[in-house]
Amino acid sequence: MKRKDMGLLRWLVGWLMLFCAHLVLAQPSPNTPPPDFSPRVFEIARELRCPVCQGESAAESNAGIALEMRRIIAEQLAQGKTEAEIRQFFVDRYGDWILYKPPARGLTLWVWLSPLLGLGLLGFGLWRYLARVGAQAKAPVADVSEEEIARLEAELHSPKRQS
Amino acid sequence: MLRFWPIWVLLLGGLFYWGMQRPNPNELKSVLKGRPAPTFSLPLLEPYRAKYGAEMGIREDLNRPVVLNIWASWCLPCRTEAPLLERFHQQYKDQVLFLGVNVQDKESEALRFVQQYGLTFPSVYDERGRIGIEYGYYGVPETFIIDRNGIVLERHTGELSEAQLQQYLRQVLP
Repeated sequence: MKRKDMGLLRWLVGWLMLFCAHLVLAQPSPNTPPPDFSPRVFEIARELRCPVCQGESAAESNAGIALEMRRIIAEQLAQGKTEAEIRQFFVDRYGDWILYKPPARGLTLWVWLSPLLGLGLLGFGLWRYLARVGAQAKAPVADVSEEEIARLEAELHSPKRQS
Repeated sequence: MLRFWPIWVLLLGGLFYWGMQRPNPNELKSVLKGRPAPTFSLPLLEPYRAKYGAEMGIREDLNRPVVLNIWASWCLPCRTEAPLLERFHQQYKDQVLFLGVNVQDKESEALRFVQQYGLTFPSVYDERGRIGIEYGYYGVPETFIIDRNGIVLERHTGELSEAQLQQYLRQVLP
Protein backbone atom coordinates (compact mmCIF):
# COMPACT_ATOMS: atom_id res chain seq x y z
CA MET A 1 0.00 0.00 0.00
CA LYS A 2 1.24 3.45 -0.88
CA ARG A 3 2.36 5.87 1.82
CA LYS A 4 -0.38 8.31 0.81
CA ASP A 5 -3.05 5.58 1.14
CA MET A 6 -1.73 4.60 4.57
CA GLY A 7 -2.08 8.19 5.73
CA LEU A 8 -5.63 8.34 4.45
CA LEU A 9 -6.46 5.02 6.13
CA ARG A 10 -5.08 6.29 9.46
CA TRP A 11 -7.15 9.45 9.07
CA LEU A 12 -10.35 7.47 8.38
CA VAL A 13 -9.75 5.05 11.28
CA GLY A 14 -9.14 8.03 13.58
CA TRP A 15 -12.42 9.65 12.58
CA LEU A 16 -14.28 6.35 12.94
CA MET A 17 -12.91 5.89 16.48
CA LEU A 18 -13.89 9.44 17.39
CA PHE A 19 -17.38 8.87 15.99
CA CYS A 20 -17.78 5.60 17.95
CA ALA A 21 -16.59 7.29 21.16
CA HIS A 22 -19.14 10.03 20.56
CA LEU A 23 -21.91 7.45 20.11
CA VAL A 24 -20.98 5.71 23.35
CA LEU A 25 -20.96 8.99 25.25
CA ALA A 26 -24.21 10.13 23.66
CA GLN A 27 -26.18 7.05 24.76
CA PRO A 28 -29.05 7.97 27.07
CA SER A 29 -28.97 6.52 30.53
CA PRO A 30 -30.90 3.23 30.77
CA ASN A 31 -34.61 3.79 30.76
CA THR A 32 -35.76 3.42 34.31
CA PRO A 33 -39.40 2.45 34.34
CA PRO A 34 -41.79 4.40 36.53
CA PRO A 35 -43.23 2.36 39.41
CA ASP A 36 -46.52 1.63 37.63
CA PHE A 37 -44.91 -0.22 34.71
CA SER A 38 -42.79 -3.32 35.12
CA PRO A 39 -39.44 -3.61 33.27
CA ARG A 40 -41.07 -6.30 31.10
CA VAL A 41 -43.49 -3.70 29.74
CA PHE A 42 -40.51 -1.62 28.62
CA GLU A 43 -38.78 -4.68 27.15
CA ILE A 44 -41.77 -5.31 24.88
CA ALA A 45 -42.30 -1.59 24.16
CA ARG A 46 -38.65 -1.31 23.08
CA GLU A 47 -39.42 -3.61 20.14
CA LEU A 48 -42.29 -1.39 18.97
CA ARG A 49 -42.08 1.91 17.13
CA CYS A 50 -43.73 4.99 18.52
CA PRO A 51 -46.05 5.90 15.60
CA VAL A 52 -45.77 9.67 16.03
CA CYS A 53 -42.06 9.92 16.87
CA GLN A 54 -38.90 9.97 14.81
CA GLY A 55 -36.53 7.12 15.58
CA GLU A 56 -37.93 6.43 19.05
CA SER A 57 -39.45 3.25 20.38
CA ALA A 58 -42.65 3.09 22.40
CA ALA A 59 -40.43 2.57 25.47
CA GLU A 60 -38.37 5.74 25.03
CA SER A 61 -40.99 8.23 23.92
CA ASN A 62 -43.04 10.39 26.23
CA ALA A 63 -45.68 11.05 23.57
CA GLY A 64 -49.22 10.30 24.71
CA ILE A 65 -49.64 7.50 22.18
CA ALA A 66 -46.43 5.77 23.39
CA LEU A 67 -47.63 6.03 26.98
CA GLU A 68 -50.93 4.48 25.96
CA MET A 69 -49.11 1.69 24.14
CA ARG A 70 -47.16 0.92 27.34
CA ARG A 71 -50.42 0.95 29.26
CA ILE A 72 -51.96 -1.53 26.78
CA ILE A 73 -48.89 -3.78 27.12
CA ALA A 74 -49.16 -3.67 30.93
CA GLU A 75 -52.86 -4.51 30.79
CA GLN A 76 -52.34 -7.41 28.39
CA LEU A 77 -49.49 -8.80 30.49
CA ALA A 78 -51.78 -8.65 33.51
CA GLN A 79 -54.36 -10.61 31.48
CA GLY A 80 -51.74 -13.32 30.98
CA LYS A 81 -51.04 -12.69 27.29
CA THR A 82 -47.67 -13.71 25.88
CA GLU A 83 -45.17 -11.29 24.33
CA ALA A 84 -45.95 -12.69 20.88
CA GLU A 85 -49.67 -12.11 21.39
CA ILE A 86 -49.04 -8.52 22.51
CA ARG A 87 -46.80 -7.83 19.52
CA GLN A 88 -49.48 -9.32 17.26
CA PHE A 89 -52.05 -6.94 18.78
CA PHE A 90 -50.05 -3.98 17.47
CA VAL A 91 -49.21 -5.67 14.15
CA ASP A 92 -52.96 -6.24 13.58
CA ARG A 93 -53.49 -2.50 13.86
CA TYR A 94 -50.35 -1.05 12.29
CA GLY A 95 -48.88 -3.83 10.18
CA ASP A 96 -45.29 -5.11 10.38
CA TRP A 97 -44.08 -1.48 10.23
CA ILE A 98 -44.69 -1.16 13.98
CA LEU A 99 -42.01 -3.79 14.73
CA TYR A 100 -38.35 -2.80 14.93
CA LYS A 101 -37.49 -6.34 13.84
CA PRO A 102 -40.01 -7.16 11.14
CA PRO A 103 -40.43 -10.85 10.29
CA ALA A 104 -38.32 -12.11 7.40
CA ARG A 105 -40.88 -12.36 4.60
CA GLY A 106 -41.57 -10.49 1.35
CA LEU A 107 -39.33 -7.46 0.86
CA THR A 108 -37.92 -7.85 4.39
CA LEU A 109 -36.74 -11.34 3.48
CA TRP A 110 -34.67 -9.85 0.63
CA VAL A 111 -33.21 -7.27 3.01
CA TRP A 112 -32.20 -10.09 5.35
CA LEU A 113 -30.81 -12.18 2.51
CA SER A 114 -28.97 -9.37 0.71
CA PRO A 115 -25.71 -9.69 2.75
CA LEU A 116 -25.63 -13.43 2.06
CA LEU A 117 -26.36 -12.85 -1.61
CA GLY A 118 -23.64 -10.19 -1.69
CA LEU A 119 -21.17 -12.59 -0.08
CA GLY A 120 -22.18 -15.34 -2.48
CA LEU A 121 -21.69 -13.06 -5.50
CA LEU A 122 -18.33 -11.89 -4.13
CA GLY A 123 -17.24 -15.52 -3.61
CA PHE A 124 -18.42 -16.46 -7.09
CA GLY A 125 -16.57 -13.51 -8.64
CA LEU A 126 -13.40 -14.39 -6.71
CA TRP A 127 -13.65 -18.05 -7.73
CA ARG A 128 -14.11 -17.09 -11.42
CA TYR A 129 -11.16 -14.70 -11.23
CA LEU A 130 -8.86 -17.26 -9.60
CA ALA A 131 -9.97 -19.93 -12.08
CA ARG A 132 -9.14 -17.62 -14.99
CA VAL A 133 -5.74 -16.70 -13.56
CA GLY A 134 -4.96 -20.38 -12.95
CA ALA A 135 -6.01 -21.29 -16.48
CA GLN A 136 -3.86 -18.55 -17.93
CA ALA A 137 -0.87 -19.80 -15.93
CA LYS A 138 -1.29 -23.30 -17.31
CA ALA A 139 -2.28 -22.30 -20.85
CA PRO A 140 1.18 -21.66 -22.37
CA VAL A 141 2.40 -25.17 -21.54
CA ALA A 142 -0.69 -26.91 -22.80
CA ASP A 143 -1.45 -24.81 -25.83
CA VAL A 144 1.98 -24.66 -27.54
CA SER A 145 2.00 -26.98 -30.49
CA GLU A 146 4.81 -29.39 -31.43
CA GLU A 147 5.67 -27.26 -34.46
CA GLU A 148 5.94 -24.13 -32.34
CA ILE A 149 8.27 -25.90 -29.90
CA ALA A 150 10.39 -27.18 -32.79
CA ARG A 151 10.56 -23.69 -34.30
CA LEU A 152 11.57 -22.14 -30.98
CA GLU A 153 14.22 -24.79 -30.38
CA ALA A 154 15.56 -24.25 -33.89
CA GLU A 155 15.68 -20.55 -33.25
CA LEU A 156 17.53 -21.07 -29.98
CA HIS A 157 20.12 -23.31 -31.56
CA SER A 158 20.53 -21.34 -34.78
CA PRO A 159 24.10 -20.16 -35.61
CA LYS A 160 22.95 -16.54 -35.55
CA ARG A 161 21.96 -16.97 -31.95
CA GLN A 162 25.16 -18.76 -30.97
CA SER A 163 27.25 -15.96 -32.34
CA MET B 1 -10.50 1.35 -3.13
CA LEU B 2 -9.42 4.15 -0.84
CA ARG B 3 -9.11 6.46 -3.84
CA PHE B 4 -12.93 6.53 -3.92
CA TRP B 5 -13.38 7.48 -0.24
CA PRO B 6 -15.59 10.53 -0.94
CA ILE B 7 -18.01 8.21 -2.76
CA TRP B 8 -17.99 5.75 0.17
CA VAL B 9 -18.58 8.59 2.65
CA LEU B 10 -21.44 9.94 0.52
CA LEU B 11 -22.95 6.47 0.16
CA LEU B 12 -22.77 5.73 3.89
CA GLY B 13 -24.02 9.21 4.76
CA GLY B 14 -26.93 8.80 2.35
CA LEU B 15 -27.76 5.40 3.80
CA PHE B 16 -27.66 6.83 7.35
CA TYR B 17 -29.94 9.74 6.35
CA TRP B 18 -32.37 7.36 4.63
CA GLY B 19 -32.43 5.09 7.68
CA MET B 20 -33.24 7.99 9.98
CA GLN B 21 -36.26 9.09 7.97
CA ARG B 22 -39.68 8.52 9.43
CA PRO B 23 -41.83 7.04 6.71
CA ASN B 24 -44.54 9.30 5.42
CA PRO B 25 -47.73 8.06 7.10
CA ASN B 26 -49.64 8.90 3.92
CA GLU B 27 -47.66 6.21 2.17
CA LEU B 28 -48.30 3.62 4.85
CA LYS B 29 -51.28 1.55 3.92
CA SER B 30 -53.73 1.10 6.72
CA VAL B 31 -54.11 -2.55 7.59
CA LEU B 32 -57.75 -1.77 8.33
CA LYS B 33 -58.61 -0.97 4.72
CA GLY B 34 -61.14 -3.49 3.51
CA ARG B 35 -61.68 -4.86 7.02
CA PRO B 36 -64.54 -4.25 9.47
CA ALA B 37 -64.11 -1.03 11.44
CA PRO B 38 -63.36 -1.72 15.13
CA THR B 39 -66.46 -1.12 17.19
CA PHE B 40 -66.44 1.13 20.24
CA SER B 41 -68.64 3.25 22.40
CA LEU B 42 -67.31 6.32 24.17
CA PRO B 43 -68.83 9.19 26.16
CA LEU B 44 -69.99 12.08 24.04
CA LEU B 45 -68.76 15.58 24.70
CA GLU B 46 -71.33 17.42 26.80
CA PRO B 47 -72.97 19.61 24.07
CA TYR B 48 -74.08 16.52 22.12
CA ARG B 49 -75.58 14.47 24.93
CA ALA B 50 -79.03 16.04 24.76
CA LYS B 51 -79.44 14.99 21.12
CA TYR B 52 -77.42 11.77 20.85
CA GLY B 53 -77.37 10.30 24.39
CA ALA B 54 -74.51 9.70 26.81
CA GLU B 55 -72.38 7.53 24.56
CA MET B 56 -71.81 7.01 20.89
CA GLY B 57 -69.47 5.07 18.64
CA ILE B 58 -69.17 2.58 15.83
CA ARG B 59 -71.61 -0.30 16.01
CA GLU B 60 -72.24 -3.15 13.64
CA ASP B 61 -75.91 -2.17 13.23
CA LEU B 62 -75.39 1.46 12.18
CA ASN B 63 -76.41 0.73 8.57
CA ARG B 64 -75.11 4.06 7.29
CA PRO B 65 -71.78 5.34 6.05
CA VAL B 66 -69.54 7.01 8.61
CA VAL B 67 -66.85 9.67 8.32
CA LEU B 68 -64.79 9.06 11.45
CA ASN B 69 -62.51 11.99 12.18
CA ILE B 70 -59.84 11.77 14.88
CA TRP B 71 -58.92 15.22 16.15
CA ALA B 72 -57.43 17.25 19.00
CA SER B 73 -57.78 20.91 19.91
CA TRP B 74 -54.00 21.44 19.91
CA CYS B 75 -53.68 20.24 16.33
CA LEU B 76 -53.44 23.06 13.79
CA PRO B 77 -54.63 21.13 10.70
CA CYS B 78 -57.69 20.09 12.73
CA ARG B 79 -58.57 23.77 13.05
CA THR B 80 -58.60 24.34 9.31
CA GLU B 81 -60.38 21.04 8.71
CA ALA B 82 -63.20 21.56 11.26
CA PRO B 83 -65.27 24.13 9.26
CA LEU B 84 -65.08 21.86 6.19
CA LEU B 85 -66.35 18.87 8.15
CA GLU B 86 -69.16 20.96 9.62
CA ARG B 87 -70.21 22.19 6.17
CA PHE B 88 -70.30 18.66 4.78
CA HIS B 89 -72.14 17.42 7.86
CA GLN B 90 -74.84 20.04 7.23
CA GLN B 91 -75.07 18.96 3.62
CA TYR B 92 -75.06 15.17 4.10
CA LYS B 93 -76.30 14.61 7.65
CA ASP B 94 -79.30 12.60 6.45
CA GLN B 95 -77.12 10.15 4.55
CA VAL B 96 -73.77 10.05 6.35
CA LEU B 97 -72.82 10.04 10.01
CA PHE B 98 -69.96 12.42 10.76
CA LEU B 99 -68.41 11.34 14.04
CA GLY B 100 -65.47 13.04 15.73
CA VAL B 101 -63.13 11.33 18.18
CA ASN B 102 -61.27 13.80 20.35
CA VAL B 103 -58.01 12.17 21.47
CA GLN B 104 -55.26 13.02 23.95
CA ASP B 105 -56.79 16.31 24.86
CA LYS B 106 -58.22 18.14 27.84
CA GLU B 107 -61.98 17.98 27.83
CA SER B 108 -62.23 21.72 28.55
CA GLU B 109 -60.02 22.50 25.53
CA ALA B 110 -62.07 20.15 23.34
CA LEU B 111 -65.29 21.89 24.43
CA ARG B 112 -63.79 25.29 23.64
CA PHE B 113 -62.79 24.02 20.19
CA VAL B 114 -66.29 22.70 19.50
CA GLN B 115 -67.83 26.00 20.58
CA GLN B 116 -65.32 28.10 18.64
CA TYR B 117 -66.06 26.36 15.34
CA GLY B 118 -69.75 25.74 16.05
CA LEU B 119 -69.43 22.00 15.38
CA THR B 120 -72.83 20.33 15.36
CA PHE B 121 -71.68 16.84 14.33
CA PRO B 122 -71.16 14.65 17.42
CA SER B 123 -67.75 14.07 18.94
CA VAL B 124 -66.80 11.51 21.57
CA TYR B 125 -64.04 12.00 24.11
CA ASP B 126 -61.07 9.57 24.20
CA GLU B 127 -58.61 11.16 26.57
CA ARG B 128 -55.89 8.54 26.18
CA GLY B 129 -56.30 7.95 22.46
CA ARG B 130 -56.99 4.24 22.81
CA ILE B 131 -59.50 4.21 19.95
CA GLY B 132 -56.83 5.90 17.85
CA ILE B 133 -54.56 2.92 18.51
CA GLU B 134 -57.43 0.52 17.75
CA TYR B 135 -57.63 2.22 14.35
CA GLY B 136 -53.83 2.26 13.98
CA TYR B 137 -53.51 6.05 13.82
CA TYR B 138 -50.24 7.93 13.38
CA GLY B 139 -51.36 11.32 14.60
CA VAL B 140 -54.11 13.88 14.21
CA PRO B 141 -56.05 14.57 12.14
CA GLU B 142 -56.88 11.24 10.64
CA THR B 143 -60.11 10.34 8.89
CA PHE B 144 -61.60 6.93 8.20
CA ILE B 145 -64.32 6.40 5.62
CA ILE B 146 -66.56 3.49 6.61
CA ASP B 147 -69.26 2.16 4.31
CA ARG B 148 -72.79 1.20 5.37
CA ASN B 149 -71.67 -2.40 5.95
CA GLY B 150 -69.09 -1.24 8.48
CA ILE B 151 -66.07 -1.84 6.24
CA VAL B 152 -63.19 0.67 6.25
CA LEU B 153 -62.86 1.94 2.68
CA GLU B 154 -60.26 4.67 3.13
CA ARG B 155 -57.92 6.14 5.65
CA HIS B 156 -56.77 9.73 5.21
CA THR B 157 -53.91 11.13 7.25
CA GLY B 158 -53.53 14.86 7.66
CA GLU B 159 -55.85 17.66 6.70
CA LEU B 160 -58.70 16.91 4.30
CA SER B 161 -59.37 19.08 1.31
CA GLU B 162 -62.86 19.68 -0.02
CA ALA B 163 -62.11 17.71 -3.20
CA GLN B 164 -60.75 14.74 -1.21
CA LEU B 165 -63.74 14.64 1.12
CA GLN B 166 -66.11 14.91 -1.83
CA GLN B 167 -64.33 12.01 -3.52
CA TYR B 168 -64.48 9.85 -0.38
CA LEU B 169 -68.19 10.56 0.03
CA ARG B 170 -68.87 9.57 -3.57
CA GLN B 171 -67.59 6.10 -2.67
CA VAL B 172 -70.12 5.59 0.11
CA LEU B 173 -73.14 7.54 -1.05
CA PRO B 174 -75.81 5.56 -2.92
